[in-house]
Amino acid sequence: MKRILDIGHNDLRLFFKSKSAYIWLFAMPLAFVYFMGFANRGPGDPSNRRPPVLVENNDTNFLGRALLDELDTQGMWLLDPTNRESAARMIRIPEDFSRRVMAGEQSKVGFFKRDGSAKSDAMLIEVRLVRALIAMNSHLLEAAAQTDNAPESITEEQLREVMKKPNPVALDAKFAGRKPVPSGFAFSLPGNLVLYLLMNLMIFGGASVAAERRNGVIRRLMVHPVTNLELVMGKIYGLMLLGAVQIGFFLVVGKLVLGVNLGANVPAVTLTLLVLAWVGGSLGVLVGSVFASEDRVVGLCVLVSLLMGALGGCWWPLEIAPPTLQKIALFLPTGWALKGLHQLISFGSGFGPAVIPLIVLLVFGLSANLLAARFFRS
Amino acid sequence: MSLLRVQGLFKAFAAIRAVDSVSFEVRPGEVYGLLGPNGAGKTTTISMISGLLKPDAGEVVVAGTPFWSDPQKAKRIMGVVPQELAIYEELTGRENLEFWGRMAGLSSGDAKSRATELLEALTLTDRAKDVVKTYSGGMKRRINLGCALLHRPQLLLLDEPTVGIDPQARLNILEFIRSLRASGTAILYTTHYLEEAETLCHRIGIIDHGRLLAEGTLKELQERLGGDRLFVLEADLKEAAPESWDGFLSRFRVIQKTERQLVVSALGARDPSECLKDLLGLPVRVENVTLKRPSLNDVFLQLTGRELRE
Repeated sequence: MKRILDIGHNDLRLFFKSKSAYIWLFAMPLAFVYFMGFANRGPGDPSNRRPPVLVENNDTNFLGRALLDELDTQGMWLLDPTNRESAARMIRIPEDFSRRVMAGEQSKVGFFKRDGSAKSDAMLIEVRLVRALIAMNSHLLEAAAQTDNAPESITEEQLREVMKKPNPVALDAKFAGRKPVPSGFAFSLPGNLVLYLLMNLMIFGGASVAAERRNGVIRRLMVHPVTNLELVMGKIYGLMLLGAVQIGFFLVVGKLVLGVNLGANVPAVTLTLLVLAWVGGSLGVLVGSVFASEDRVVGLCVLVSLLMGALGGCWWPLEIAPPTLQKIALFLPTGWALKGLHQLISFGSGFGPAVIPLIVLLVFGLSANLLAARFFRS
Repeated sequence: MSLLRVQGLFKAFAAIRAVDSVSFEVRPGEVYGLLGPNGAGKTTTISMISGLLKPDAGEVVVAGTPFWSDPQKAKRIMGVVPQELAIYEELTGRENLEFWGRMAGLSSGDAKSRATELLEALTLTDRAKDVVKTYSGGMKRRINLGCALLHRPQLLLLDEPTVGIDPQARLNILEFIRSLRASGTAILYTTHYLEEAETLCHRIGIIDHGRLLAEGTLKELQERLGGDRLFVLEADLKEAAPESWDGFLSRFRVIQKTERQLVVSALGARDPSECLKDLLGLPVRVENVTLKRPSLNDVFLQLTGRELRE
């Protein structure tokens, strides 16, 4: 056991002696997390989308302003009029809105479609508009009751007092069935972390084993009282330590700098990533054992990890991929790692739903580790 | 008792017999030189002794125990210095020594103090904190050697430890190896440098094409040539046939014959001046005759028909 630790710690020290390691471990993945998160950002939380809407408030009295506040309370993302092109729908509050309502007459709020906007966004806006109008009517009725059913005598202060009161009956809405699609940094952080963790550990593991075999270091290790299994485990342990450094860095940066909500179960997120590091490290040692040339090892590791990343859902959510690709992901460690991570990070699950992905990853890790031990050579 | 006994070692790669029935032993405080050209089977022999390769036949016994009955025990007794520079060039000399010490089974504390001792002994103390890739070739060779010595091995296997370095650096390493020999370490030393084998080794085994052709002390090997001096005759020997010269082969042993040179040793206890007269009377036009002490190269020449330097 001591020799496994010694080999691992020595390898970690060697990895950090290389300046390019810092680029591949930290700078490159961070840049991709940022740009992909920025490009893939969706409005609002993935489980509570807030499509943008433009409101033209032509009413100059207080009821128009009160309706705007109610729309905001109902989760509407109210756009600045200068940004009207990105709106999914438009709402127009008529000029005589306050006067007609105060006079006890019906006033109609306009709801307008915008070309090219998504149907699902329009539906969300419509639902929230209906909820806002129902709430507004309720507030007016309650305020009128306080003025002996004389709506014309309702003041803004009275109405806002009523609006502040908590609703006696509240709606707790959650997704049933199909889960929301992860977006923004909540998607790009786990996606890129999974991709770069696998890629870096495969490249560093494969290239270092191939190089040490070329320059005779592996042979020298084997003439010491170290068993082959200790040697393989030491190499994998060193790579897992390297992975742990990368995981720690990205979870801290993700949470503190990018503001990603890592969910309630950060230890489970960390455990899932560490098991993936075991898979990546073992695959690296395996590739380095099978192929002699470092160039070939690096080329193969880049190709394999990029393919696994793309097919496993690191670059786009698997939820939007065709069913065939979703099935292919079931055969890849990246697919299962992201399945577990999205459960924990984006869907806020407890440990339960992440157990099966974790078990599958453990099977991947064990298989790769056994193959690495089988093919390891001097 | 010998610390290393190799008996009938055999290894073949497809049809090539890399090592063919090699037997020898190395005693404590002795340097046994395995001398042969590149590709003779020296490294394959060391690989089998150190457990990197399993022999097809034969046995390696380390300190009385067959290697393969307890490889870990045998590895704890021996230190191996590979031919290549198998060290971490990105680490400092001290970091290398400490790491290989821990691999040999030392605690971190012991590895540190032993590394300090070895840096001193190898005259590398002032460069201990520099990364190895900034070292000269000779310094790298010294660190390469030191990495095998942390656990004070009783048996040291040195596979051409002076390849590719300048004469001064080579002398430093040879001096260091002599000090190890004096401390009682049994050393198996492979080389293709004749001078190293002649000046360093107690006993020498000459190996070629995987076979151990002869072994013994330098004197014993020289005596195989029939005496302690050789006659080198220079002449036009294109048409010459020594076997046709009257009684020549009963008086001389031919070591080498080329178009310009004939190297012979005298058979029996004959006076050198008488031998010279004999040679000058040969039916060829002799341009020069010189006397020299037989070298290992001459032994190799006699055993294989070619020079070791070829």
